[in-house]
Amino acid sequence: MEANQTAVLIVLIVITIDAVLLASLIILKGIHRRRMLGHEKRRAGYMTLLAHHLTYPDSTEPIGRKTAEDPAFLDAVIDLRNAVAGPEIDTLARIIGRYGMAGAQARRLRSRFPLGRRLRAAVALAEMGDESSAESLMEFLGDREPEVRIQCARGLGRMRWTPAIDAIVDRFNVETPWVRSRFTSTLVGFGPKATWPLIAYIRVNHRFESAGPSAAIRALGVIGDTQAGPPLIEILEEAKDPEIQIAAIEALGAVGGPLALKTLIREFDSDDWRLRAKAATAIGDIGDPLAIPTLAAGLEDTDWWVRRNSAAALTRLPGGQWALYDALASKDRYAQDAAAEALADAGELIAARSREKSGTATARDQALLSHMTPEYSMTGS
Amino acid sequence: MMLEIIRWVGYGTIAYFAVMQAYLIFLAVVSGTVLRRNHHMSRFGRVSEMLSSNMAPPVSIVIPAYNEAMGIVESVRSMSIVGYPRFEMVVVNDGSTDETLERLIEAFELERVQIPYRPDLETAPIRGIYRGRGTVDITVIDKENAGRADALNAGINVARYPYALCTDADVILDAGCLVNAMQRIVEDREHVVAVGGNIRPLNGSTVELGHLVKASVPKKLVPRMQVLEYVRTFLASRPAWARMGALPLISGAFGVWKRSAVLAVGGFTSGHMGEDMDLTMRMHRYHIDNEIPYRIVYEGAAVIWTEVPENLRVLRRQRIRWHRGLMMAVRDFMPMTFNPRYGSVGMVTWAGMFLFEYLAPIIEFIGWFVVPIAWAVGALDTTAMVMLLAIAFGMGLMNSLVALMLDESYGYFNSAADTSRLVTMAMIENFGFRQITVFWRIRALFGGRKVQGWGNMERRGVANLGARGA
Amino acid sequence: MSRTLRILVADDAETITTLLMTSLELKGYEVVTARNGIEAHEFGMNEEFDLVILDQLMPGLSGLEVIRKWHDEGIDVPVIMLSGVDDEKTVVDSLDLGAVDFVRKPFRLPELMARIRQRLRTVESDGTEQQADDKNGSAGR
Repeated sequence: MEANQTAVLIVLIVITIDAVLLASLIILKGIHRRRMLGHEKRRAGYMTLLAHHLTYPDSTEPIGRKTAEDPAFLDAVIDLRNAVAGPEIDTLARIIGRYGMAGAQARRLRSRFPLGRRLRAAVALAEMGDESSAESLMEFLGDREPEVRIQCARGLGRMRWTPAIDAIVDRFNVETPWVRSRFTSTLVGFGPKATWPLIAYIRVNHRFESAGPSAAIRALGVIGDTQAGPPLIEILEEAKDPEIQIAAIEALGAVGGPLALKTLIREFDSDDWRLRAKAATAIGDIGDPLAIPTLAAGLEDTDWWVRRNSAAALTRLPGGQWALYDALASKDRYAQDAAAEALADAGELIAARSREKSGTATARDQALLSHMTPEYSMTGS
Repeated sequence: MMLEIIRWVGYGTIAYFAVMQAYLIFLAVVSGTVLRRNHHMSRFGRVSEMLSSNMAPPVSIVIPAYNEAMGIVESVRSMSIVGYPRFEMVVVNDGSTDETLERLIEAFELERVQIPYRPDLETAPIRGIYRGRGTVDITVIDKENAGRADALNAGINVARYPYALCTDADVILDAGCLVNAMQRIVEDREHVVAVGGNIRPLNGSTVELGHLVKASVPKKLVPRMQVLEYVRTFLASRPAWARMGALPLISGAFGVWKRSAVLAVGGFTSGHMGEDMDLTMRMHRYHIDNEIPYRIVYEGAAVIWTEVPENLRVLRRQRIRWHRGLMMAVRDFMPMTFNPRYGSVGMVTWAGMFLFEYLAPIIEFIGWFVVPIAWAVGALDTTAMVMLLAIAFGMGLMNSLVALMLDESYGYFNSAADTSRLVTMAMIENFGFRQITVFWRIRALFGGRKVQGWGNMERRGVANLGARGA
Repeated sequence: MSRTLRILVADDAETITTLLMTSLELKGYEVVTARNGIEAHEFGMNEEFDLVILDQLMPGLSGLEVIRKWHDEGIDVPVIMLSGVDDEKTVVDSLDLGAVDFVRKPFRLPELMARIRQRLRTVESDGTEQQADDKNGSAGR
């Protein structure tokens, strides 16, 4: 009967597929396990071999060609390169160069498939940071695959390959926001050389976009080049977009210096609580005691973050903590709380407690203690 | 006439099973493509360089705790060295009747502080807030007992940072889980409002100092079955659901939530038994209703380990509670089911939840109990019976095997013993275990005692689990 | 006095322990490795070391906690702390507890070796002075 035949057919198909899947699973596991175990054992051995070379750079311990082509060896080289700094890197670079390891990875990058291999090659090149691969990396800055592009930019940043800076910044306008922000963080690797290209980009674009320029501004803050201060002040004063303003305020905390103080204090009048809060932190970063009165006023702000950041900033300014102790007596309950918490975070609570135990507590200590622990009584311990 | 009805019921059941298994296979295939892509980057497995401290948003780790005295300190301590630049820990003591609070105070040198409690979300009364002054940035909230959802809300209230990782006290975090989860957020900060993680049962594995040393498949059948279940859902379903933009559930054990979004939808629903599913669905509904572009994603590389019930008694309580939670959610979100207005959520994944999770017990009950009887009395012919068995067992086994193959990329469960245990489980699962869970869920559907509160896990404490393995 | 100097290296990263163990053994030191804070602490309690190289971030106990425990138990051994963490508070806390040197990761191997040699020279010279005292009687020199 036909129904019977269909049923039998279905059953057979199902059983066959199951058998195939089961066999594949077992084979897959077997292969994977053997590969992994072998990989781990060889890697440990290579680690010791490389450590030998790093300790004695002139060592003649042989590294065979087979070793150099082993992915486990590549793994070990990269791990070590990330763990050490200084002349060892030269030793590793020599090994990479002698065995053409960078070239081998560049060849894999050049192949069109499969994606996995290309990605791993791009990452390996980025991690090895060997100058011989700079040209390949430049070539693939425009690759189809976004992660490949990013790894190339990263590698070029790590080796501070200056011709790449303009090429990377040029790509800002064609990349998606996510890729763009990763590109900007790779620019940080170039250090101050990237300052002016970034500023040029920000100047042109901040009126039209916010994601790219704010990422660029943040990168400037991380690079830490104080030359970026005056242009950033200009940009902050011109910008209307809050994302850009926030990024600029943050960055000025790192590179603005006392020059930026006036502009930052002005931000305290902003209607946007985020700008006020960020300004408080940036002022704390700059560390100029002239700002103490402004921050003390910030303790009475309506927004919790502004109060908190102002209090935290005060602990970082020389003499700021007296303003905090004064605030403990403020009429504003929230200002008291913010001040007390910041003082406690700065270790003043513990110090006050130990002074109290030894009987040397000052009036300020008692004010802080009575604020933080309602059960504390002034009449004694 | 009666026979005619039974026959149609029989065929209907077979069709149901066929559709369900086909749906699962479809999900598995989609999940496969998603995971394969992500796996390429995991090759070097390092903390991504992009998450240097200036790009990584700070995260508050919220841990609700009820009667966790045995393992809470160990657990918090091991969580505190998760690899992430800036985070704080907020532990909520939900009115424990044991020494949970005392142990925390002692271990972390906590001091009671007077900071104003901002109830952005309404919760049960707070008894006190404590801060640690040591190296770990930890805040502990002591409050009256009101359930997990309420505790999470309190934790979110006190959390200082824009993102909150909601997890549990008995969870072991993989070192890179938070970085991997936050990476998805940083990729698209404007839109991503939540990230779900990959949960794996800890039972049977070797744990040392609150960290996983070696993952193994448990010998005991009850936890073993759950290992298989979790692999199926977290590797073969969730990636696909998330790819469709329709992840209906972010598990309570690991969910990173954008704090502002949680506040916008009103936080977790107090007293709900499936508060994690409820919040996820409310997120979907809120953003779709208000036409706010959003994304809820799943990150397979955000791995955490947790203890699952070791025996049938505790498992039963858990499954009844889960199904009750699902019932509440189905009732609440009925308007969304099969509603095209809600896109893939309404038409595919929530519909799938309704059909293949909620209704499943009823139809499976028919399948396992009624159909054999029908065949025995001659109402259903052998062909149909055989087809049912082939589809139910055969395709079910297919799904399990595919899921296990997808799991390969993670590299756990390497020994031959592990593999054979899982494969045997896949084969015998349908000879009893599945039927038992069906039975329990029918019970949940049609009454029975209320399983309230936290559901006592009778835990041995993550710290005390298996040096021997189970 | 020319006994072999013993060094404890504690780090959860295998790369670092292998690298340091190989380098130090090549230079003639005896090396014991620990993979986490608790192991490190136990080794320090039960065995004698001339120098300890400790990673700050380890499972179990952090480097700082290990030093603190040793301090409380009266164990006094020179420590070089390795850290990738940019944490001023940790630096201050550990210096307070007597950590001799604080080295950021990634480190320069020759520099680290130089610091190790310098620390051990102090240990050695302390040892020889003590021997000299013992020989000449405790009345000092």
